[in-house]
Amino acid sequence: MYAREMIRQSLPLIILCGFGGIIAGSTLSAMIDLFYSIPGLIVVIPAIIALRGNISTALGSRLGSAYHLGVIDADNLWNDDLKQNIIGSLVLSFLISIIIGFFAYITTILFFNLHPDPVKLISIVILAGIFSAIILTFLTVIIIYFVFKRGFDPDNITGPALATFGDIITMFCIFFSAIFIEVIA
Amino acid sequence: MIYSWKKIVKHGLPLLSVFIFAEIFAGNILQNKQDMLILYPIFLVSFPVINGVAGNIGSVLGARIASGLHVGYIEISFFDKKMHDNLFSAIFIGLSSFFVLGLVIYYFSYYFLDQRHVSLFNFMFIILLAGFLLVFIVSIVSIVTAFYSFKKGFDPDDFIAPVVTTVGDVLGIFLLFLLISLFYL
Repeated sequence: MYAREMIRQSLPLIILCGFGGIIAGSTLSAMIDLFYSIPGLIVVIPAIIALRGNISTALGSRLGSAYHLGVIDADNLWNDDLKQNIIGSLVLSFLISIIIGFFAYITTILFFNLHPDPVKLISIVILAGIFSAIILTFLTVIIIYFVFKRGFDPDNITGPALATFGDIITMFCIFFSAIFIEVIA
Repeated sequence: MIYSWKKIVKHGLPLLSVFIFAEIFAGNILQNKQDMLILYPIFLVSFPVINGVAGNIGSVLGARIASGLHVGYIEISFFDKKMHDNLFSAIFIGLSSFFVLGLVIYYFSYYFLDQRHVSLFNFMFIILLAGFLLVFIVSIVSIVTAFYSFKKGFDPDDFIAPVVTTVGDVLGIFLLFLLISLFYL
């Protein structure tokens, strides 16, 4: 059964990612008061985690392909191709964050008859989206740098590594953005 | 220079918006169950873990099926023996991960979140059943997505991860609350 190798290589990484999920989930349980004071906040959580996962793994796999194509490597990392990729990821994160805030606002009114403050909700999402995008984009570049330096295949490392750190960093960003907006509002 | 940020945004935006819309519905389920989640924070800790593990298993399985199709040792057939081996391994990885992570979540919630009024047996039953159903459905979705995109001449690697994580997130939250209301509360 050749699929045994899948179990050996993937099982430890998947359990490790699960521990990342437990840390993310406990951050959620620390946010219970915020969910009551900001209706609609809990609605954006799966979407922001998914946004982060989709954009950073796409960035990771594009940089992996760029490496295989010979466009970037450890000695030639900070070039125009990398910068275009970073700008692309940040712009995409900003636009999708606005869409998330807007959808969450509309559905919260339609389904729950709650009336969240749209400015507050959308600013929390944008702040969390941009902060997590900046942190994770640079984390991706750092991971890619070490992967290149060591001569590993980036396709095997960046996905699981980003999945583990991504959830935790994103949850912390939502937590602090919500507190920040709640304090200044 | 082979990358441009405008192209990255233009290619990413439409598909991401559709997936984000589905994630908002997952968020609406959470908003609907908010009062229950505050009484039982153990489930608030569980849902990022369940979603993350299922998404990861589906992505690994899909990537392996895609490589098998590219190289030619897997055929587009629901009776393919190698595909079945991969599917069984995915389910085995899922059950083992949920067993380990379920125990960690239970004792973590018991000691740190003061979650004393949930029995270990009931919690493990819900996590393992939800986990098994989710990994099974996500694996089938992953295989169908790999077969379909390969047949249509697209690169399955571009589609599997986003489709599988989105389906996993929405269905994971849905299944978890369905089983909780059927067997628990």
